[in-house]
Amino acid sequence: MASLRHAASNQLRARVIRRHGRDNLPVSINRRRIYILPTRFGFMLGAILIAMLVAGLNYNSNLALAFTFLMSSMALVTMHHCNRNMLRLTVDATTEVDAFAGREALLEFELRNGSRVDRRDIEVRCLSAAGMGSVAAGESTTIEVIAPVAQRGVTRISQFELRTRYPFGWFYSWTYVQGSILIYVAPAPRGNRGLPSGAAHGGGSHSEARGDEDFSGLRAYEPGVPLKHMAWKVLARGGEPVVRSYSSLAAQPEWLDWSMLEGLDTEARLSQLCLWVVESDAAQRPYGLRIPGKELAPSGGAAHRFACLRALAAFGTGAT
Amino acid sequence: MTPERVSYDQLLGISGCLGLALLAHVTTLPLWVPAIVVACGLIRLGLARSGRGAPPGRVLVVIALLVTPLLFVRFHTFNGLVAGTALLSVAAGLKLLETKTQRDIYIVTLIVYFVSLAALLEGDSFWLLAYLIGVCWLTTATLLRLTSGGPAPGWRRSLRYGGRVLAQALPLTLVFWLLFPRFAGPLWQIPNDSQVTASGLGDTMSPGDITQLALSDEVAFRVRFDAASPPNRERYWRGPVLDYFDGHTWSHSPTSDTTVAALQPQGPAYKYTVMMEPHRHRWIFMLDWPSSWNLPRAELNSDYTLMQPEPLSRPVDVVGTSYTQVQAIEALTPKIRNRDLRLPRNRNPRTQQLAQELRSAHADDLEYAQAVLAMFRQQAFFYTLTPPKLSDDSVDEFLFDTRRGFCGHYASAFATLLRAAGIPARVITGYQGGTLNPYGDYWILRQSDAHAWTEAWIEGRGWVRIDPTAAIAPERVERGLADVASADESLASPWQRKSLWFSGVRLRFDAVKQLWRERILDFDQDSQRKLLEMLNIPEPDGQKLVMVLAAAMGLVLGWLTWQVRRELSPRSKDETARAFARLCAKLAAAGIARLPHEDAEAYARRVARLRPDLGAVVTHLCRQYSFLRYSAPSTGVTLGQFQAAVRAFRPKASGVS
Repeated sequence: MASLRHAASNQLRARVIRRHGRDNLPVSINRRRIYILPTRFGFMLGAILIAMLVAGLNYNSNLALAFTFLMSSMALVTMHHCNRNMLRLTVDATTEVDAFAGREALLEFELRNGSRVDRRDIEVRCLSAAGMGSVAAGESTTIEVIAPVAQRGVTRISQFELRTRYPFGWFYSWTYVQGSILIYVAPAPRGNRGLPSGAAHGGGSHSEARGDEDFSGLRAYEPGVPLKHMAWKVLARGGEPVVRSYSSLAAQPEWLDWSMLEGLDTEARLSQLCLWVVESDAAQRPYGLRIPGKELAPSGGAAHRFACLRALAAFGTGAT
Repeated sequence: MTPERVSYDQLLGISGCLGLALLAHVTTLPLWVPAIVVACGLIRLGLARSGRGAPPGRVLVVIALLVTPLLFVRFHTFNGLVAGTALLSVAAGLKLLETKTQRDIYIVTLIVYFVSLAALLEGDSFWLLAYLIGVCWLTTATLLRLTSGGPAPGWRRSLRYGGRVLAQALPLTLVFWLLFPRFAGPLWQIPNDSQVTASGLGDTMSPGDITQLALSDEVAFRVRFDAASPPNRERYWRGPVLDYFDGHTWSHSPTSDTTVAALQPQGPAYKYTVMMEPHRHRWIFMLDWPSSWNLPRAELNSDYTLMQPEPLSRPVDVVGTSYTQVQAIEALTPKIRNRDLRLPRNRNPRTQQLAQELRSAHADDLEYAQAVLAMFRQQAFFYTLTPPKLSDDSVDEFLFDTRRGFCGHYASAFATLLRAAGIPARVITGYQGGTLNPYGDYWILRQSDAHAWTEAWIEGRGWVRIDPTAAIAPERVERGLADVASADESLASPWQRKSLWFSGVRLRFDAVKQLWRERILDFDQDSQRKLLEMLNIPEPDGQKLVMVLAAAMGLVLGWLTWQVRRELSPRSKDETARAFARLCAKLAAAGIARLPHEDAEAYARRVARLRPDLGAVVTHLCRQYSFLRYSAPSTGVTLGQFQAAVRAFRPKASGVS
């Protein structure tokens, strides 16, 4: 039964792609793409309703029939409500997501409800994980799906599913959204080699310890610099935004280089480089990344960090 | 579907629903069945309260093994309605006890629905239906709380939502109910396990038996005549015919003779519908001499009483035709003649002697009968609801000593006198007269209309109905019993003597009940045919009915789709304006009306100046209004919040300004 349902679901997914093509997010869910079926509970209710009908007919009891028809009609109304719970919702998603292999990716989906009714218990399913949330009338909400990612690489999600069993769990309606989400799965940050700068300066811990202490002058502000390094007094006096520079920041930028890691296999090298990126970023030291086919000039800040991690994730996958 | 553990709150909700559904069965189920279910529910709730889970499976197995034989001993079957309900209830109790996950509770909700339905298979009152729809509503609201993904919505909200689904389901329910094809008979034979106790007339009659019935205003049956009703003196409703007399009690002797004598009807034929209440006897009360009826399994016995194969345990409607006068075609068979001449030997000797004396003066049978009636009329015979007790020679004692009696006494004495004179006679029990309900144009026959009369075999004519009670107290036959009884001795219950409007209310109430029975409970194939005829559909049949059903369903489902999706259209700014207008109206009522040129801000400032106590609130509300009206959607406040705030705002009128 379960495998049959699974096969049918796969068939349907393929057909949906053929029929609707790709979606450009955000997407408004129209009625033609909402499917609905009874749940197992719904089938049980159906069986009970048939038993009620037979009993009512057999005892020739018009009141029992009235009750049966009322329950059946309520089931039909519920079907409409279940369908409506999804209808004309607007779905958006964060299209680029970063994660480390072996950990979880946090996928964010935004549901906007422009109608006058609350939409309750909407489940978003993606990568065999699910998140659930409700959207009040006229509002919007973000549903988080936390999906474990095992493999380094760039995972492209081309389809995710919205599902709801509201109101009574007798029916579930669902829809597939052909939205494209890229998950950059960086290698797991792992390795036992010290930062290359540590080798040059005599110990990473030493350089880190000095990092924030030795003030060495001011330089122009650039995005991504930690706020605590801002020279607020200069700014307050009406000057240009400048940043206090410390000896470590001012130090020679480090190149995190693929070629430094001779003797390790590809994934181990990538993991080690990833660890270095994370450590360098944490230490707020400028760093550059050099891997075969890609070179990122030394810099600092969140944007640079993501660029480096994505380069590591995409290495050897053909994606850029 | 993740198997989540159930909470105390959820268990409490569903236990309550199950309890309410079982309440509808309290009169039919043996008391220990609901007791077991309640105990199961309480134990489970207690466990949940103290944070423990369901008891282990083997406990349940033990309980099930104990209870099932108990049920079987009580009912001898699980096939019947009451037995099935009992089994289902116990199953629900056990399921409640073993409930671990939400899925278990889902099953309990399904049982609640089915138990509710089972109650409707037995009962037929409007209030029962309304009550069970209420239970269904509550159960559905509980289900909404159970299935909710996040925190369960509040009770009020759940009930409102459930009520809304219920209301939207009503048109579709009506279509289904009116047009779903009904079958003529049951799909299979229903085991007869109804708990209705025998009531009304029995199949024996001792002096004083009918007196007990005379005080009961319980309805025995109702009758609607197709055309004119027969006059009061002709409305005799035949029940058990009693032919065997032991000197004290009349009863029906079992005969092997089942031949129904052919009769030549005389006078007008009356077509009517008898709507019987269940009375646990096999007979059905038909007007005097029935000639046709629409119950395929019912048959006339040799005394022209219509008999069902099994006792009447549910209300039954019979359409029949009867005559009030008949002429025999064949002579009385010797067997029946002997049966209807037999008197116990050495009993009632004085009566036998009286019969001999009268017979010697009146050789003609009819003349003899008239002489006896004349004796009742002319001598000091009294009609009373409280006759003295009679010993074994009851007829002797009544005719010569007490001379006070009820219809049973007169019928008994009269039949004895006829038999003693060699005229075949028998006592007929049944009902006579009835009350016309002018609000529904039908007759109500209550237990107080129970009556006994006699039939005498007159050569050349056949059986002739003679009512000796009419001789002693003509008003008894011309009018209802209540009048006579209260005129005679005030034994009648107080309601019978209450003012006229009270009996009017009673009749109106009965008419509504009757309407419910005829229009709702008795809705059948025939009614559906009439419905289609009303829709101008020629030659209605089952196929056309299904087509009409499909068409009507299409219409209603279309309406439903529109109704459900209508709410999806985005909120218009008008609603914001309307809420603001309500706010202004409230303030105007408090003494500060908005001037036409004022915008919200200016108005708020003026209110703040005039009524400092309201200032803060009104300024806040006006700001919210500006937000909603003029800024981009989904900033700060929602319309719902604003509307709620306006609704909650109640400025006190004050003389400060």
